[in-house]
Amino acid sequence: MESKLKKPAVPILVSSFYEQEIEVSYNYGMPGIRIQYIPGPVWGKDNAQLKAQIIEGNDPILGGPVMKEIVEKFTKPLTAKEKNPGELKHDLPPATYTGTPAELQKLFLEKRYTDFMPVILPTEKLVNAMLDATSHDPDEVLGKMNPGSEAGEMWTYTVRTAAINAVMAGAKPEYFPVILAIGSTGTPAVNISDNGFMAGAVINGNIRDEIGLNYDIGAVGPFAQANTTIGRAWSLLSINGGNCGKVGTTYTGTVGNPMNAINVIIAENEEKSPWEPFSVRRGKVGGFGFGGPQKPAGYKKGENVVTLLMGWGILSAVNWKANDWSELPNYALAIKNIYKEQGTMFGTFAVLSPPVANNISNAGYDTADKLTKFVTDTGAAPKGGPGGQNGFSMRGGSFNVVVTGASNNNYWMIGGMVPAASVRIDDWR
Amino acid sequence: MKLHRSFIAVLCLGLAFCLGIMGSQANEASAATEGEITVLNPLGSPPPIEKKQMAPRLHTLDGKTIYLINTGFPNSGRLLEEMSKWFKANYPKTKMVMARGGMTNISPDVMKEIKEKADAVILGVGH
Repeated sequence: MESKLKKPAVPILVSSFYEQEIEVSYNYGMPGIRIQYIPGPVWGKDNAQLKAQIIEGNDPILGGPVMKEIVEKFTKPLTAKEKNPGELKHDLPPATYTGTPAELQKLFLEKRYTDFMPVILPTEKLVNAMLDATSHDPDEVLGKMNPGSEAGEMWTYTVRTAAINAVMAGAKPEYFPVILAIGSTGTPAVNISDNGFMAGAVINGNIRDEIGLNYDIGAVGPFAQANTTIGRAWSLLSINGGNCGKVGTTYTGTVGNPMNAINVIIAENEEKSPWEPFSVRRGKVGGFGFGGPQKPAGYKKGENVVTLLMGWGILSAVNWKANDWSELPNYALAIKNIYKEQGTMFGTFAVLSPPVANNISNAGYDTADKLTKFVTDTGAAPKGGPGGQNGFSMRGGSFNVVVTGASNNNYWMIGGMVPAASVRIDDWR
Repeated sequence: MKLHRSFIAVLCLGLAFCLGIMGSQANEASAATEGEITVLNPLGSPPPIEKKQMAPRLHTLDGKTIYLINTGFPNSGRLLEEMSKWFKANYPKTKMVMARGGMTNISPDVMKEIKEKADAVILGVGH
């Protein structure tokens, strides 16, 4: 902002951002920017508390009085180094590393190339085998990604970068087109926000059986290599290809989110769902990705499509008092009652097992549209609604539903996730 | 001559010893590289860094206008309000103006106003 205005500008930041801002200000070409650090958090404090904590308080980094430092930041002449910081460039790592497997595992961990779990070491042979699963050139730019905010630089990654990270995640080459489709959107699986966002994906089409995606018992858990490693590859690609997930610089989740490890990968149980596949429904309305709005794509049943999700995540509907435990439950009403209590930033996303979905369908909601209309018609204007709350757009609509899992009982999950981009997987074969 | 022969013998022994050591080291080195593998770096590419110029500072705050831009993060407005009060009490000749920004950007209208009317800007809060 200072460079655009050509006037002194002092950003006020809580001191937990100090480490991040050293990197950010360097990367954005103004390492001398005069940031005023304050003790946080600011949220939840009344005027008297803010006055005592900040106005009359000290800078946690430099130690001086906050307000005196702000005045000095406006009036103290620039130093020679602030006027000219010299050459600014990234310290780029080597293209390869050599060592014993144990040394390399340690090195990858120390360099924060991993998710803190051991990885499959990406030798050229393994990476080439991954690359053989696509017709795309290894040097083709697959996408650009930042961690969800300009506080992190926008990095560029290639098909080869994706292959390296897919190998590290333990993915089989036949999963690679799905990983490329996800990577092509530039959507980070690990968002910088202190909220602790997560990401997910719904996979539809015949590829589910072709590569062994699980949509039966434990569908959204770590119980199949395809689901688990596709999700993990997305996180590793985000960390390494997209400059995400570095604690203190490109990750600030206050409490964090365990779903960042392998994300929520949902292969829809299309065969036992009473409704059209999720992809077909998304294909009618379009979506919104990091690359901008998407027009309706008209996806057909059987077509291999991945739709990305972002939000808070999901947990068992049993957690909500509004769930229906009667012998003859009205699940549509239970969903509606939960929906009414959900926040609007990411809307409401229900993941239903086939018996629950078919119970709802048999109760008269034989299309997902009918269920959506019933759930979202609360008789009042939506809080925030599509278009946003707190500046975050909820472009996918406020209620979405998919069907997956087994038929051994009437369990289901619900939470806050909003659909983002949808991509044809076969374009990445 | 005897001395000379002895010297050569010692030299040969010494050489043999040295060669033995070197051979042994070579074998050890060979054992160390055995089991090593080469792996590819998994990182993407950062953009080049474009250097930006800092703005000249103000000689005084007297008679100047400082805009306080609210980023919209929770409670930012309340903190900026307290900062404004402090400036009014301690720098009565400085004009303080509150303006609404955004979490990720500032509207063109507000930017235009700041460009025209502000001498300096406080932007907060990065929560």
